[in-house]
Amino acid sequence: MSQATESEERLLIEAAQKDPSRFAELYEQNFHRVYAYVARRVRDRAETQDLTAHVFHQALANLGKFKWKGSPFAAWLYRIASNAIADQAKRKMRESSEQLNASSKSSTAADAEAVERRARLFSAVDKLPEDQRRVIVMRFADEKSIREIADELGRSEGAVKQLQFRGLENLRNRLNEK
Amino acid sequence: MAERSIIDQLDDAVAAMAEGRQPDLTNFGPELSALAGVAQDLIGLPRETFKAELQQQLIRRDSMSSPTQQLEANTVRSMSLYLCVTGASAAIDFYREAFGAKELSRLAEPDGKIGHAELQIGDTVLMISDEYPDYGALSPQTIGGSPVKIHLDVTDVDAFAEQAIKAGATLVRPIEDQFYGDRSGHIQDPFGYTWIVSTHMKDVPIEDMQKEFDKFTHEGSTKSSDEAGYVKEPEMRRENRHAVTPYITVHKPAELIDFVTQSFGAIEHFRATGPAGGMHAEVSIGDSIVMIGGAEHIEPMPTAIHLYVPDVDQAYERALKAGAKSLMPVVDQPYGERSGGVEDVHGNRWYIATPFVPLQTIAQDLHTVTVYFHPIGAQRFIDFVIKAFGGTELMRHAEDDMIMHAKVQIGDSVIELGEARHPSQPLPSAIYLYVDDVDAKYEQALKAGGTSMLEPTDQAYGDRSAWVKDPFDNVWYIAAPLTAPGSSVSTDSV
Repeated sequence: MSQATESEERLLIEAAQKDPSRFAELYEQNFHRVYAYVARRVRDRAETQDLTAHVFHQALANLGKFKWKGSPFAAWLYRIASNAIADQAKRKMRESSEQLNASSKSSTAADAEAVERRARLFSAVDKLPEDQRRVIVMRFADEKSIREIADELGRSEGAVKQLQFRGLENLRNRLNEK
Repeated sequence: MAERSIIDQLDDAVAAMAEGRQPDLTNFGPELSALAGVAQDLIGLPRETFKAELQQQLIRRDSMSSPTQQLEANTVRSMSLYLCVTGASAAIDFYREAFGAKELSRLAEPDGKIGHAELQIGDTVLMISDEYPDYGALSPQTIGGSPVKIHLDVTDVDAFAEQAIKAGATLVRPIEDQFYGDRSGHIQDPFGYTWIVSTHMKDVPIEDMQKEFDKFTHEGSTKSSDEAGYVKEPEMRRENRHAVTPYITVHKPAELIDFVTQSFGAIEHFRATGPAGGMHAEVSIGDSIVMIGGAEHIEPMPTAIHLYVPDVDQAYERALKAGAKSLMPVVDQPYGERSGGVEDVHGNRWYIATPFVPLQTIAQDLHTVTVYFHPIGAQRFIDFVIKAFGGTELMRHAEDDMIMHAKVQIGDSVIELGEARHPSQPLPSAIYLYVDDVDAKYEQALKAGGTSMLEPTDQAYGDRSAWVKDPFDNVWYIAAPLTAPGSSVSTDSV
């Protein structure tokens, strides 16, 4: 996610309100934030995906109602996400009352910081050198073992571990840059 | 027990996290702990397919929500490109480097041949596969080009094109401001597809656009040549090709392409490498095509070419700078041309000329590119060409029975020749010759004294062709486009 300035973001929102096909840019800017926000509260991958999809569908449908009041667009998306997570939790209450407590934990500054950091981390993966990016994506997003990755890429397990190490190092450096 | 490397230790921790276990970080120093922290945050990294698919859903949903489409059930929801290329894996690498494409998935055979792959480029998913002729999946390199151009809307067209060219694309039309408010140009990828790359600069009302368009088309119809002096850019369609096209074979074809590009402003249209490593490429110079091919292990067939250029002095200088040696300095000729000659490092001879007067009046029968032969026994050579291909002698200039210069028409093209004499030694050449009836012309050429190198054969690249070597060691690739019966393809052929 390239960090849009406040005025750039405002222009993007206005453009998307006039022409919904421009929503793609807002999506690109905010996808990792929303995903990280949801993932922090919902551990399961399938559920995280469902809720993330729900947030963006809602956002696109209600974009016309969004009014610029000085707070970032992401905050509005977080509110949609928070409501969606709570709704989901209510539906699940019958199954477990603990889930509600876990899911609806309130947002703190530290929490927001962690979400933002993780979103930046996800975005930074896209900018890794290609061989490192592939290994990181296969390992962490596709949840493959070192052996599976080595087979698929036709490289040794040692080489894959090495790429994983370099990738993580690179990501750490990029996070520290900001 | 040997101590595990930090790379293994970190992977142990990642493996534990992936399984939801608590990693053992007791022996981790601060550096390694920091990396483990990054890894922990990466657990649950979103899948790229998910991100791309959700975006597609959102776009579809958006297009579905327009009122006209809501009325009609059963409408198309979205459109995707499916490209067939020779060498899909290399193409994916290229699109990644050139366009920043992201690979979403691939289905590959054990040998790496790709049955289906998906790439994300911008907000669009591009599908791509290798060739599967049995299923009708043929690439531009096999078919001889693609009529489909793909438009890319990019944020900075100049930087984008530069990156693509660095990755191996060819600039086909320069990046320029257009009357319709875009800044755009055309690039061709190494796999035969043309991409229009464009950045929208300003909105232009449609009425103004029409006015500009009128001017544009009017200019196009009255101007016989553009600023470079060439007649307008030739159509690359096979049916518009001239009857005679030189096929220059050299050890290092890529270098020859660079040479003709730098020296004579040639435009590369096509380049492919065959299974045995031989290259086939096609460039245009003015109204003509020159085929260039070869490889280190292939016997070269350098060629002599009579070439009209807009500025002979400039072309001569550029050719020398590009490594050619002078055969003849540029001088004014009594017959109304200014001309000179160079020999490039591959052994091809270029007789370059610029007419004093408009091209049409001096050389109305010549294309930009004309092959020049130096046979031993020019009269017998003329006889062969007339008998084999139905040529017509247009003129000759002889001194004491020696043919110094002659022109013979074949189809819409002319070849030139002069008896071999110092310093113009014989230079057996290869010619791609379009004819109406390959089989008949092949028989005729054998009767005229040619030797068969290949009987008439349907080729995968869309031509029926036969190869004949003439008694002067020139090779003639006699060809006609394979077409469905009843289709009306007009070829400027013999």
